Amino acid sequence: MTFLTSRTRRTFVMAALLSLAIATAPAQNPTARIVTAANSFLETLTPAQRKVVIFDFNDTKQRARWSNFPTGFIPRSGISLRQMTPRERTAALTLLQTVLSPRGYEKVQQIMDGDEVTKLVEARNGNRPPGGPGGPPNGNGGPPPGASGQPGGAPPPGANPGGSGPPRLSGDMFGKDLYFISFLGTPSTTSPWMIQFGGHHLALNITIAGDQGVLTPTLTGAQPALYTANGKIVRPLGQESDKALALLNALDDTERKQAVLSYQLADLVLGPGQDGVILQPEGLKASAMTGRQRAMLLDVISEWAGIINKSAAEARMAQLKADLDDTWFSWSGPTTGTPGKNITAYYRIQGPHLVIEYAPQTLGGDPALHVHTMYRDPTNDYGAALVKK
Amino acid sequence: MTRKLILLAALVLASTPLASAHRLDEYLQATLLTLHKDQVQASMRLIPGVSISAAVIAAIDTNHDGTLSPEEQRSYAEHVLGDLTLTANGQRLQPTLVSFTFPQPGEMREGTGEIHLDYTVALPKLGPTRALMLEDRHLPQASVYLVNVLAPTDRDLSVTAQKRNSQQSVYELDWTQANLPPAHWWTITNSVGFAGIFRLGMRHIAEGTDHLLFLLALLLPAPLLAQQGRWGAPAAVRPSIVRILKIVTAFTLGHSVTLALAAFGIVHVPGRPIEVLIAVSILVSAIHALRPVFPGREAWIAAFFGLIHGLAFATTLGELGLDRWQRVTGLLAFNLGIETMQMIVVALTLPSLLLLSRTRAYPAFRIPAALFAAFASLGWIIERTSTLTLPVDSIVNAAAHHAAAVAAALFFASLAASARAPHSLLGGAAKRSYL
Repeated sequence: MTFLTSRTRRTFVMAALLSLAIATAPAQNPTARIVTAANSFLETLTPAQRKVVIFDFNDTKQRARWSNFPTGFIPRSGISLRQMTPRERTAALTLLQTVLSPRGYEKVQQIMDGDEVTKLVEARNGNRPPGGPGGPPNGNGGPPPGASGQPGGAPPPGANPGGSGPPRLSGDMFGKDLYFISFLGTPSTTSPWMIQFGGHHLALNITIAGDQGVLTPTLTGAQPALYTANGKIVRPLGQESDKALALLNALDDTERKQAVLSYQLADLVLGPGQDGVILQPEGLKASAMTGRQRAMLLDVISEWAGIINKSAAEARMAQLKADLDDTWFSWSGPTTGTPGKNITAYYRIQGPHLVIEYAPQTLGGDPALHVHTMYRDPTNDYGAALVKK
Repeated sequence: MTRKLILLAALVLASTPLASAHRLDEYLQATLLTLHKDQVQASMRLIPGVSISAAVIAAIDTNHDGTLSPEEQRSYAEHVLGDLTLTANGQRLQPTLVSFTFPQPGEMREGTGEIHLDYTVALPKLGPTRALMLEDRHLPQASVYLVNVLAPTDRDLSVTAQKRNSQQSVYELDWTQANLPPAHWWTITNSVGFAGIFRLGMRHIAEGTDHLLFLLALLLPAPLLAQQGRWGAPAAVRPSIVRILKIVTAFTLGHSVTLALAAFGIVHVPGRPIEVLIAVSILVSAIHALRPVFPGREAWIAAFFGLIHGLAFATTLGELGLDRWQRVTGLLAFNLGIETMQMIVVALTLPSLLLLSRTRAYPAFRIPAALFAAFASLGWIIERTSTLTLPVDSIVNAAAHHAAAVAAALFFASLAASARAPHSLLGGAAKRSYL
């Protein structure tokens, strides 16, 4: 009896030790894995490329060099997927997969694929054929303004002042490979550094400081916000639309009256360049919501907070959950939607450490097909709060 | 220039839009306001869409040389400010241009150029409730507007409402400002004036029955002489008046000292023990009114318990949340209110006490009154040291409620009693021996 018991006990101890060993066997926390993936990517680059891709951590100009615009309008720095060799591209996407959650990575892919759809549509509409393979090697950190957008010897648009139409669109304007990667600082498990990845309708600004990962500010957008790929309908930002509408529908009349603003919002209030701005909040405060509504609000928020990898996302969600009483939800525009289509209304979620804006764009006809969103922590843009410590 | 702009804008609106890329036929005007106590700062971003950019460029580049000179930029910036209407609480205000930056015409043609204007609006002297109206009439046919205010970092400022028309071209910001410096010395804060705090002081005595009861109990034996451990014959009128004035003055001195000390946070005593001590002070003076405990030293007792009553007054004053400087005037107003009410009470009861003390009927008034005070104070002591609730307050308040009638009845009763009394002040020759 005693023998059996002690043997059982020993088995338990062995099992516990074994499982502990398995749990720590990869021995790499998320930051270590990200650093490894980043270094693997950087090793594939030539020294000249590496020079172009790495900026000083405190380069405030590069930090803010992101936009909702196509890269042809607002040039990004770093190097694009188009400029990369297949090996480099694989390493870059592996890094992205490591730093993001599976759903976040998928969302990014769908935004990029959407831009490919735009490229094909524009080509079909005769707005110049897609650019030839290779494209212009703009590796020197940004061409002068005005030099973008007309690679093939097109007449300069400024030739007839006053009457120049919109800029020409081409394969250098859209496409899933016109997304740029850059680094601020060098990958490290201890000191802070940043990965930027973006292009048209996408700007990921990821600050990594020790075991912490910060995704703010990040811009996502989509046009077309609904397209068919491999026979399947894709809505890159469909959950952002559906979950928010569900929350609005879950509000009672009094709550809805508070949440729905009486005026139009034509665009993002805190779009590119508006870092660290803390607005006077408006709308319905989550402290007045029911438990179910609060859970739905958190679920909407998770569409942005969950883009980054699991451990960083969990820490962020815990912070936002703690802030929930002081978090506001406001809505402007139509309060109804069509199932399977995006809303055409603007909404904002604002808390002490959060601003989310969802802004359909009237441009190009159907606002349901064109959306810009912004995800911020005005107190911690580019990890400012982490770096201060 | 305005007419040309509108004309161009109208032309541009008719031009063809494009499927992709960005802002086209709209002129986005986004304003962020920052509130300060004496001014409002505004930061304006103006972003012409692709198809309106030519009109905007033409409006800025008045000499059509293809560049935007600093003079042309300033002139356009001033023109934009000229298209704004700003009022604060209905008063028309003028914006002052602080800075401006313009993009290259090429950037504007692509729809990515942002014009930045910063301006300020000085606020006139306003009350605590404030409203700023901002109407933007710059290119209304082509423009979309965004107007927002930053959450104020100044703790004295709090935004109460933001109202906009549907386009946001008309915006109203309502806010309040706390801790405004007083406009006049007698307006202590904008919610409470000198007169208000003075009345508060008066009410505190009139309704603070425990303070009143203490004082009255102490005054009850004041016109009498202590003889062999008992209250005996009435004292002469002049020494009686002097003694009463001494008691009242000592009480005033005592409570003024602690009221001032507590109001400025020099002493801080929890409220509950003070309330108990006040009840004890009533009990002590009630016992003294029955049998002389400290004859001749009433003023000292009044001063000592005055110190305790002053701490209770300070609690009331503290609830007003005055700042340090406001407290000086607040303290003065409050104390004057207390003294005034005290003087009224003494003026109303003193003649009756003097008259009645000279009659045989006086013990019949003094003893029940002292017993009433003693029982009330005992009730309060029990209430304030335990969780028991006794009907003390309601009984005392009922009596206090009819204070004027009681005082009048007392006065007439004393007149009637003294008309028949040998030692009466109204009793002819005998009175001289006492004067």
